[in-house]
Amino acid sequence: MTPPFRRVLVANRGEIAIRIIRACRELGIEAVAVYSDVDRDAPHVRAADRAEHIGPAAAAAYLSIDALLDAARRSDAEAVHPGYGFLSESATFARAVTAAGLVFVGPPPETMQALGDKLAARRTAVDAGVPVTPGLMVAVDTARLVELDDLGYPLLVKAAAGGGGRGVRRVDRPADMPEALDSARREATAAFGDGTLYVERLILGARHVEVQLLGDRHGGLAVLGERDCSVQRRHQKLVEEAPAPGLSHETRERIAADARRIAEAVPFHSAATVEFLLDREQHHWFLEMNTRLQVEHGVTELVTGVDLVAWQLRVAAGERLPGEVLEPRWRGHAIQVRLYAEDPWQGFRPTTGRIGAWRMPDGPGVRVDAGVEADLDLPTEYDPLLAKLMVHAPDRPAAVARLRRALDETRIGGVSTTLGFHRWLVDQPAFIAGKYDTGLVPDLWADGPGLSDREGQMAATAVAGARATGVPPRPSAAPSTGAAMTRSERPWARLSRDEAVEP
Amino acid sequence: MRDEAEFLVEGQPTAPDPEWEFGWLARGHGDATLRRDGERVPVLVEGGPAEWVVTIRGRRIAVTVRGHRERLLAESSQLAAPRHGPAEVRATLPGLVVKVAVRPGDLVAEGDALVTVEAMKMENEIRAPRAGQVVSVEAAPGQTIVSGALLVRLADPEP
Repeated sequence: MTPPFRRVLVANRGEIAIRIIRACRELGIEAVAVYSDVDRDAPHVRAADRAEHIGPAAAAAYLSIDALLDAARRSDAEAVHPGYGFLSESATFARAVTAAGLVFVGPPPETMQALGDKLAARRTAVDAGVPVTPGLMVAVDTARLVELDDLGYPLLVKAAAGGGGRGVRRVDRPADMPEALDSARREATAAFGDGTLYVERLILGARHVEVQLLGDRHGGLAVLGERDCSVQRRHQKLVEEAPAPGLSHETRERIAADARRIAEAVPFHSAATVEFLLDREQHHWFLEMNTRLQVEHGVTELVTGVDLVAWQLRVAAGERLPGEVLEPRWRGHAIQVRLYAEDPWQGFRPTTGRIGAWRMPDGPGVRVDAGVEADLDLPTEYDPLLAKLMVHAPDRPAAVARLRRALDETRIGGVSTTLGFHRWLVDQPAFIAGKYDTGLVPDLWADGPGLSDREGQMAATAVAGARATGVPPRPSAAPSTGAAMTRSERPWARLSRDEAVEP
Repeated sequence: MRDEAEFLVEGQPTAPDPEWEFGWLARGHGDATLRRDGERVPVLVEGGPAEWVVTIRGRRIAVTVRGHRERLLAESSQLAAPRHGPAEVRATLPGLVVKVAVRPGDLVAEGDALVTVEAMKMENEIRAPRAGQVVSVEAAPGQTIVSGALLVRLADPEP
């Protein structure tokens, strides 16, 4: 096969940059990584064939259109893949790439603009005859607060330019609305440079189900099934699976048909995802369309055998989607868990520090997309996603068992991660039965289970054993459970005095 | 030699269980196993000599050892956060201060939000570790702070 491009600039970092670089290499494309100062030796830089410096600032570098275009020019790249996050949904960036004579690996800019704005997307859905959640069809401002009361609380404030759960606030009573709007507007402005907000009714007990789309530039459109992404904290996903458990055949078909309707309402090619809420009666509502690759694209790849990133690159070069992509053969069940540098027992607060031990599982049906490795200092300026652990098995019970096995093989030292949450999750009857919704984390996990006597004794025993055999040669890797940070140094001075006079 | 040390697991005095047998697998990585009657549980052991973290099934468990040395330390300092007297609230994460919710003189309850810091693109609320009165505020919106930076000084309320 002729490579679709000779050289591609990967305008991202972390695990998704590595994922794209891998696809490039398999297609015979030279991959160019980009890096800020703190990322000079990051894993994604080492994975690439070439690398270009895009500036000193940690986060701003990956958001600098000029720096990225310069890097593309310097490296003589033919195309730019934006990954997810950063500029992936920026129509301005897509236009600038095209204007520079390069190919943007993503949907057409006009579609990104029309659907990237979540308010405009709601209007597109309504025009296409697809149901949307009850809520505002225009931007909120304080003068409209009275109207919100008619919608009925609890409500959800959302950023029109949003993504990744940022700028989203749940509001339970009218009195809390002004503060929620202020806070969401600040977060949205900081994250997206756009503080436009809207409000929709919060559907309680709902599931979050999304449909993967892949289109070529000749009208070929593949609807690659759905994923369930209901295990969320702070409106951000933690676990995704394909297919969604417990959907009736009719519901699955209806959701897929509505996703197709939305894609056909706009000029479309490349990869995108249509997100829906599904209530307990299996009614579905359009939430938004993400005009980019998703973090959770891997579970769809596992059950369809379609390499979404490779096909993004191939359709960007003008290839047509073949029959096996348009009508893939579904195989088994896939589940992904996201390993974040967060402490699930501290309200999923981000943690910082240096990763110590890092061992990812392997064996049959296991895939790991990681962006970090052992002994790496975690930059604080970026999204705290460390790795995605995916499993694939013939059916859902086998996939859950495989996930449990894979989690037991995983070792992460130095920082708190969501590993402990996932290990808890795979033993929960609701998860095992596939009967859960977006309330799982707030209702079932809450602040996490307390420490059992057995676990406490085991921890004490392990430390006693380690002391008895000498201190492990990694004394500095530990103290980041978040608790022991602000201790006065004076006692040490006192101790050294005491020890000086000890026999 | 018997280990006379006291073990505090998440702050609770906890006795090791002699039924479990401890062994290193890969000491450099803190990889170890606990064995009992044919049962094997993998653990990750990091830290020392006083503050340790043991990871069991992905859960990081803080263990403090108080031997002779460590007991001396504990007595000479106040390891547990005092409930009275002056207190300094420091940043647990580096980031950007986006909001300061208190002013000098304000009375706060334990858990009240004091300062909102944006880090990892998320807003994080720094809360009062205990009830008290705000003596001074050392952070302002728009300010970039490092981990451990002093944010708010608290004291007992004036009578």
